[in-house]
Amino acid sequence: MNNLTRAIDVRDVTKVYRNGAMEVPALRGVSFVIERGEYVAIMGPSGSGKSTLMNIIGCLDRLTEGSYRLDGTDVSALDDNQLAEIRLKKLGFVFQGFNLLARTDAVKNVALPLFYAGLSARERNSIAGARLADVGLGDRGHHKPQELSGGQQQRVAIARALVNNPAVLLADEPTGNLDSTTSEEIMRLFGDLNAGGRTIIMVTHDEEVASHAKRIIRLRDGLIVSDERSAVAAGTSPR
Amino acid sequence: MLYFEEALRVLMANKIRTLLTITGLIIGVGAVIAIQVLGSGMSGAVEGLLGGLADNSFFVQPNVQQGDFQKAAMHEKDLADLRIHVANVSDVAPLSFVRQLAHVGHGHSPAVLFAASAERYATTPFAFGGNFTPDQVAARATVCILSYKTYQKLFPDNSDPLGKSLHVANRRYVITGVMAAPRTGVLNANFGGDVAIPYTVYERDWLQGRILFGAAIYVIDQSQMAQTEVAVINELRNLHRNVKGIQYITFDKKTFNQLVGAVFGVLTMIVGLIGAVSLLVAGIGIMNIMLVSVTERTREIGIRKAIGARKGQILAQFFVEALLLCGIGCGIGLALGLAIGYGVNAFAIVKLTGSITALPWLRATLIAVTFATIVTLAFGTYPAYRASNLDPIEALRYE
Repeated sequence: MNNLTRAIDVRDVTKVYRNGAMEVPALRGVSFVIERGEYVAIMGPSGSGKSTLMNIIGCLDRLTEGSYRLDGTDVSALDDNQLAEIRLKKLGFVFQGFNLLARTDAVKNVALPLFYAGLSARERNSIAGARLADVGLGDRGHHKPQELSGGQQQRVAIARALVNNPAVLLADEPTGNLDSTTSEEIMRLFGDLNAGGRTIIMVTHDEEVASHAKRIIRLRDGLIVSDERSAVAAGTSPR
Repeated sequence: MLYFEEALRVLMANKIRTLLTITGLIIGVGAVIAIQVLGSGMSGAVEGLLGGLADNSFFVQPNVQQGDFQKAAMHEKDLADLRIHVANVSDVAPLSFVRQLAHVGHGHSPAVLFAASAERYATTPFAFGGNFTPDQVAARATVCILSYKTYQKLFPDNSDPLGKSLHVANRRYVITGVMAAPRTGVLNANFGGDVAIPYTVYERDWLQGRILFGAAIYVIDQSQMAQTEVAVINELRNLHRNVKGIQYITFDKKTFNQLVGAVFGVLTMIVGLIGAVSLLVAGIGIMNIMLVSVTERTREIGIRKAIGARKGQILAQFFVEALLLCGIGCGIGLALGLAIGYGVNAFAIVKLTGSITALPWLRATLIAVTFATIVTLAFGTYPAYRASNLDPIEALRYE
């Protein structure tokens, strides 16, 4: 397949943290390719390096060695502002703790990346409203986060992550703060998004959650120990 | 603008903190503005107080601090001598007044009667009639000019006073003018006296050898004022040469203004300094509260950066917040400063002196606001910079 169609292309990536004189390796040479439209879960026990990998994929952190191409762009050599631009345009983040701005209503939370992208207030509000409707919260636009349930807050966060139409949706334990019923809802939403062509990468330690993905990459001690397509992947998205 | 909207929301969410933060700003801006406004009111007041002193004249009087100033007392004959022997002197009027009861028809009022030259009211606006003519002064015409206050007392029906007779003791003066209503200040009205008559008439009718407080000297060439003052003093000392070490002092508008200006300049500097210091302290307060705010909102900053905010955008957010603080502080300080400045001016200066001055609120505001903004930006830069340089991963992890 053509390089340019790859969402993520990670090669021999290492990450070493310096703690004074001590060097702590978090990633010790990780390579994989994620094509557009894939739905991948990254799993591993704590200390396996999955958070580090997530931060690198998310352009929040820089790799020590190796190369990383995101949607055709080599991001390993970019400066802080260029990385911010990549996060803004090509990545959408969904966090365990939702990470919405308190005191700010749902529409404005969703519209925030559009503001940083330089859109006018009118454009921001109309696009953000539409994305909220996409996640089933069209009527909750003016509710503040604390007035919404956990599931609803996570939907707002997903709408925000998608508002700049990114190449990749990155989710870090997206159901970690949700009960099982709500988790199911969010997983169904992810499934729908993937069915619609969205590339999703999800970090989790929950086998049940990971089972919704079509491919599971397992890490241990900074190395990939397995990379397999799950059984569900063959079938249609769960409904 | 979203930055502004968000900043407003943050400041409104912490109303008490916001208010405490800007207290220094309010005091600083208020002090600077109030003192500027008051300064102008004061110089206007001096101008009003010296209404009796024309630009082309000065007062001369014995220095009352000398031992036997009685001997230095000036008499009518001294004035006659000054008129003749000192160059650049156009006219000399005695500084003297008497308190008498003034009658018009059946009405009467106690009045301060005083000597005036034709030049004294040359630029004064009149409600009725006008100033003495030099001919009237020279010919000892028994005419008089009333202050507006006296006119109101003597003519409660507001009728035309011109040509009417004013009786004082056994003298009779024809009213030829009424000064325009003021300039109502208490000081101004009293300073001006009630009934002015030509000094020639005053010398004949009232002076009768009495000693004078001094004299008002009118000069021909204003640029030679200082030299003329010296010449007048020398002439007076010459006239009183039998008294040893005699001293006279002169007093003109310019020197008086300089004196008041110097006193007020020091006052302005002190209050200005207080204002500057409190603005400086306010700046430190803003910096402190912004550092707290940055720490409190570390996670929020992390979210914004993860979403894709550039450093400049985070910087802008905190700058706008600081500037909004500054704006609110300046606004309240401005209102307070103007209220104090205008209030003191209206209730003290104008009431006392009748001087209404155009107050330089715009200049005062510009100075105070510019300084406050500079301080805010100077002290707001570091916290904003710190916020913009937070590491997004660390910031997101912050609880």
